[in-house]
Amino acid sequence: MTFRHRIYLAAVAALAAAPPCAAQTAYPHEVVTLVTHSSPGGGSDVFLRDLARYLGPVMGVKLVVENVRGGSGARAMARLANAPADGRIVYAVTPTYIYTSLLSHPVNNYKDLEPLVNVFFDEEIVYTRADGPLHTLADVIAAARSRRGRWGASTPASLERQALEQLKLAAGVQAAIVSHDGGGDLMLNVLNGTLEIGVGEAQEIRGQLAAGRLRVLAVFSAERVADLPDVPTVQESGYDLVLTKFRGLAGPKGLPDEIILAWELAIQQVLADPDYRNVYEAAMLSPAFMSHADYGPFIDDFASRTEAYLRRTGVLQ
Amino acid sequence: MESLLLGLTLLVTTPLVLAAVGGVSWGVLGGALPGISPSITMALVLPLTYGMEPGSAIVLLAATYVGAEYGGSIPAILINTPGTNAAAATVLDGYAMQRQGRGGEALGISLYSGVLGGLFGLTMLVVLTEPLARVALAFTPMAYFALGILGLSIIASLSGESLLKGLASGVLGLMVATVGSDPVSGVPRFVFGRPELLDGIAPILIMVGLFAVSELYQQASAAEWRKTAGAETRLRFPDGALRRRLIKPQILGATIGTLEGVMPGAGGTIASFMSYNEARRWSRHKEEFGHGSPEGVAAPETANNTVAATALVPVLSFGIPGSNSAAILLGGLLVHGLIPGPRLFEENADVVVALYTGLFVANLSLLFIGLLILPVCLWLVNRPKAYLMAFIYALIFSGVYSIDHSLFDVALVLVVGVAGVFMRLAGLPMLPAVLGVVLGYMIESNYRRSLVLSGGDHGIFIEDAIALGLLSTAMLFIAGSLTTRAYLFVRRRRRQSERAADG
Repeated sequence: MTFRHRIYLAAVAALAAAPPCAAQTAYPHEVVTLVTHSSPGGGSDVFLRDLARYLGPVMGVKLVVENVRGGSGARAMARLANAPADGRIVYAVTPTYIYTSLLSHPVNNYKDLEPLVNVFFDEEIVYTRADGPLHTLADVIAAARSRRGRWGASTPASLERQALEQLKLAAGVQAAIVSHDGGGDLMLNVLNGTLEIGVGEAQEIRGQLAAGRLRVLAVFSAERVADLPDVPTVQESGYDLVLTKFRGLAGPKGLPDEIILAWELAIQQVLADPDYRNVYEAAMLSPAFMSHADYGPFIDDFASRTEAYLRRTGVLQ
Repeated sequence: MESLLLGLTLLVTTPLVLAAVGGVSWGVLGGALPGISPSITMALVLPLTYGMEPGSAIVLLAATYVGAEYGGSIPAILINTPGTNAAAATVLDGYAMQRQGRGGEALGISLYSGVLGGLFGLTMLVVLTEPLARVALAFTPMAYFALGILGLSIIASLSGESLLKGLASGVLGLMVATVGSDPVSGVPRFVFGRPELLDGIAPILIMVGLFAVSELYQQASAAEWRKTAGAETRLRFPDGALRRRLIKPQILGATIGTLEGVMPGAGGTIASFMSYNEARRWSRHKEEFGHGSPEGVAAPETANNTVAATALVPVLSFGIPGSNSAAILLGGLLVHGLIPGPRLFEENADVVVALYTGLFVANLSLLFIGLLILPVCLWLVNRPKAYLMAFIYALIFSGVYSIDHSLFDVALVLVVGVAGVFMRLAGLPMLPAVLGVVLGYMIESNYRRSLVLSGGDHGIFIEDAIALGLLSTAMLFIAGSLTTRAYLFVRRRRRQSERAADG
């Protein structure tokens, strides 16, 4: 099936599935800009472009993706904070924007934006080399008890790094936690045996996973992942750690209620679209819709826990 | 055989040729404009690929990359400004040739070497992807650190007259590389509250500032350029004797390019600098290097075009982009639901074959596109200076602004240009600084990662076989060049004292 076909089918499916009321209240703008801080081809960029393809017909608007790179989200946040709060511009948020707000003291930070809705959680997994000696998370901890462990996270200021530091504390073991320039570099060092385990997004390693070169030891989600039914959660393994790497949308402060409602309806509708489901399941994203009322407190809670962690570890003074 | 047939079928049944030729043309243009890096050139066509069928989409991106890597050499030779990071080493001898009125010859050499390098790299990609992927896998943080140090040891041969000034310039570059987020803790360093500096300063901005802007500042106060005679401005392909002379630097460039290309993070810039260095070391005409040696153009230009092909090895086999350009190619794959990894070659063999076929067409068409546009470029740089300068200024600032739509970047380039003028006045060579900026982050981040791994024990660099090998090679290079310099120094002193005694 070509792309054109898919888009056409998605549009048909969306029209068929749309409740009559949603179809009647048209979105007040014809063009909506979706801002991402990632470069073309990056994680958030691919997420937004896929979303735009299916969400556009549902909302009846033209969605344009704009890459506002630089400063790990600092420039994108400034762009949003100074834009009119009328629903014409929306920003794709991930934990990165919280970390940048806390670490880099940008002019505009996450508090200047209004969390709109959440869309997905990324599955964070613990993995090792398939021909390596480790088979469970317990093996990893046991190995780190006898000899200093070698663990890896994608980037310095990241949720994965934080998770490993917390796991190390909880298990009371010694481990070097090495950060990288991205999930790909990390995977290479797990494959060549420099590191015993890595923690990263499932979608980054799915190629090697499918080829049988990597083994998943645990998932950081609250429940087991549908695609990996035999893999236990970290919680089941005895450590009370759950990672929620969120992917959602935020807008300028003071969005009108009807705009918020339109997004809440449209996101729920697009998540139920079977064609879009094929796309996001292949990318190992778990749908995790959160309404505007829940998302604000969720983001605040996430930020305060992250800040506490950064202060405790001395990164923030 | 089956793949070959499939490739031929794809050639006649899909818009593959169009994607390849279009990509190369666009790429050459983007690469030739100072300030527009290969990755920007590719990012601009990326949205076009979303609606295309996967094979042609990937070919369009890969062909753009090939074109851009070549295109960077055109301004390097003609106006002393590398259009891409990897063309920085070409400036040395390419621009020297242009000042001697041999610009047409230099362009011919770079096109000829670039096409050969591209075809060689493609052959390596097709035949040796598996073993080359193992090379990429063998590189630990320790090995990357050692590779960076080996790269720095080249400063000795980029320094010209004074090693001390070369080192000073290199240190300046390394200092600039510390701007941005700390590679281990993520804490911002030297960013002065500017979000633009959080990700560090892009080497392309430093290069444009040091080479182009400082040149423009200086030219503003210089006399009219000597006009090159009509006959000299024609594009000239190397003749038989010269082609034979170029074989050695081309082999060096192709070999180094193949190896550096497959290592994510090393890339074309280090490959072109290292092959320049090796070409000089093994040349029979060492004294010509830096003063317009054809070999000094051939080696880096072969290397960076080889890299444009072999850089695909880590992208296809691991999904790891070694550079910004490779990252965009990876994005192109992901958008079409193609997941890199060993199974890509089995499950999406048609896309892989399309990619190989497309790259072949792209490299061949590079030759013809070069023949078409190079005379135009030569004509352009021989216009009256005032017009040319205004034109270059316009090109550079629109290019720099287009990267991130940031006026801050434009201001930064202007400031770096001022620093460049002072460096020129002090006689500091530019290339060591560029090398420092390119390698600084790689050296620091991998050094510190290694020490996190070992718990602070430097022994880890000796335990890693590759790291040990690379570090020893770097030591040999440094010792060798110090001995040569000491010998030359002693000889000069002796001559002076003899002359004094005679007088």
